[in-house]
Amino acid sequence: MMKNIIGVLLLSLLFASCSNDESDMIAVDNPEISLNIPSGFPQLNAFFSQNKPTKYGVELGEKLFSEKRFSADNTISCSTCHIRANAFTDHNAQAIGIEGRVGLRNTPSLQNLAFLKFYNWDGSKLQLETQPLVPIITHEEMDSSILEVIGKIKDDAPYKDLFQKAFGDANITPDRIYKSIAQFEYTLISANSKYDKVKQNSASFTASELQGYQTFQQKCASCHATELFTDQSFRNTGFPLNTNTNEAGRGRVTGIASDFMSFRVPTLRNIAYTAPYGSFGQFADLRSVLDYFDNGVLDADNLDPIFKDNGRRIPLTEEEKNNLIAFMKTLSDSEFLGNY
Amino acid sequence: MQNFKKYLLLSIASLALVSCSSDDDNPAANNVTLEFNNTFKNNTIVLGNAASASATANTSAAGQVHHFSELKYVISNIRLVKDNGDEVPYNVNDLDKGATVIDQAKTATLSYVLGNVPSATYKQIKFGLGIKPEQNTLDQVRFPNFYAAAGANDTEMMWEWGSGYRFTKVEGFYDTDNKAMSIHTGSTVEGTAPNYTQGVNAYRDITLNLTTNAVVGSKAPKIKIKADFDKLLSGKTNTIALSTGTGMNDNATPNIHTAAQMVKFVDNLGGNGSSDISGMFSVTSVEN
Repeated sequence: MMKNIIGVLLLSLLFASCSNDESDMIAVDNPEISLNIPSGFPQLNAFFSQNKPTKYGVELGEKLFSEKRFSADNTISCSTCHIRANAFTDHNAQAIGIEGRVGLRNTPSLQNLAFLKFYNWDGSKLQLETQPLVPIITHEEMDSSILEVIGKIKDDAPYKDLFQKAFGDANITPDRIYKSIAQFEYTLISANSKYDKVKQNSASFTASELQGYQTFQQKCASCHATELFTDQSFRNTGFPLNTNTNEAGRGRVTGIASDFMSFRVPTLRNIAYTAPYGSFGQFADLRSVLDYFDNGVLDADNLDPIFKDNGRRIPLTEEEKNNLIAFMKTLSDSEFLGNY
Repeated sequence: MQNFKKYLLLSIASLALVSCSSDDDNPAANNVTLEFNNTFKNNTIVLGNAASASATANTSAAGQVHHFSELKYVISNIRLVKDNGDEVPYNVNDLDKGATVIDQAKTATLSYVLGNVPSATYKQIKFGLGIKPEQNTLDQVRFPNFYAAAGANDTEMMWEWGSGYRFTKVEGFYDTDNKAMSIHTGSTVEGTAPNYTQGVNAYRDITLNLTTNAVVGSKAPKIKIKADFDKLLSGKTNTIALSTGTGMNDNATPNIHTAAQMVKFVDNLGGNGSSDISGMFSVTSVEN
């Protein structure tokens, strides 16, 4: 009897030590990445704390971000439209998915997402983790499904390794894909432009940039507010309308009449790199946008009061436009854009 | 040894129980078939393209003639209510086993068979038009079959941008010049009930009294449910006139009728949840 017990004890010890060894091998140091929060930036998105970026989570997310097998015919990845050198936009008026299919809207830039409360032109998503599924399944984008994607990548050794390191085991699940992509996106912080350096007293504006900044503060900053250069509000600014029947701006999300054809005020950071402009790329360049504001915008019942109360325009002289463009170019962050 | 005896006793006891129920000549459960009849008032709808002579035409309270080329909706969260008031849920947490797309173009979808319904006398049926927010996430892992059925190319009951399902999809033509009408409904809510952070909940809970009690046991009853699409434009809640255009009140084509416009269709089809809990639905008969 005693012998038996000892035998069992020994055996269980053996197993215990075995599994210990195994977990030692599995346990990978995957530290959280501490983000450099720029001074003056707004609070982090509420969901950030539930999915803090880790070393391998971000590495995995970045790899998935460029994974063309996300699309039905393996031709389109996130980074096909979200190109870093253009502040993660694509220079197309409207995004182009598989087989040349044209999407509804202009590819939005990806920067400082950790500080946004709303995502997409219409703010349909409040949480980055719930966004990646949308392009994967949308007909005009990747036209695939999350299980199709997992089926394609599940046997890749590099993925298994990264999922293991990021999440503790090699299981590839939809949630882990969404989380790692969001983690990567959380790290995309742009706050090292000339404008930022001027703020930190390590650079100074030219005369034209300074005048542009002053005009900006008078005529633009009420919407393009805060260090993000957007107040994250949704406004109908009387831009030329997208007549696609699927477009209603934020109205199709909220069901609030005054949100009809309203869009999120876009950030101006890296704006020189994200042409064309507008929710479906109505404007080829910055000058066209300023000319449009100057000439007068379309009327609408819910036209933003700033336009409604001011003759539907923002009057600008040619000199003011030149200076504004000079100022906006100081918001370019060459390090962020990958030009070191 | 003591334990072994206990287990033996338990096994024998459970065996006895099992044999008991299987010996019963009145089965513990049986099927219930829900048969959907999609109508304009009392006429079963025949679908047709713009020029179709055979399509069923209807005239709205606002005087607009219209007919449909496509008609689909999602039923989920089915519950049968016993004559004593007890509610018997039918796979309410499993879209694969408890939800379906009713498609007027596919006869087989018009009958939905509920399997293994406990033997009892039922007086009422409840179900959802659409899908509750917590299940409306396009979760392909949890509900692969429903995801596949709803997402099929000939079904298109997904709302990709909202990461949810379409609850109703009606395509058709209106006015004498056959302008396109395209009514899609679905939820856009974010956050959790009851304090949604934004959006519109287009799910509607339907309660219908059965015309006669459905007796499940030795027989498998059939409940015939009429869905009267006359209510789409001429409902208990809203009288809707269709208009085509790009303005905020134009409602004939999808999504451009903003969520605000969409809710009017939703309330007509599925009720407003308070004064109207049946919408376009009614039970026409029960076959025991």
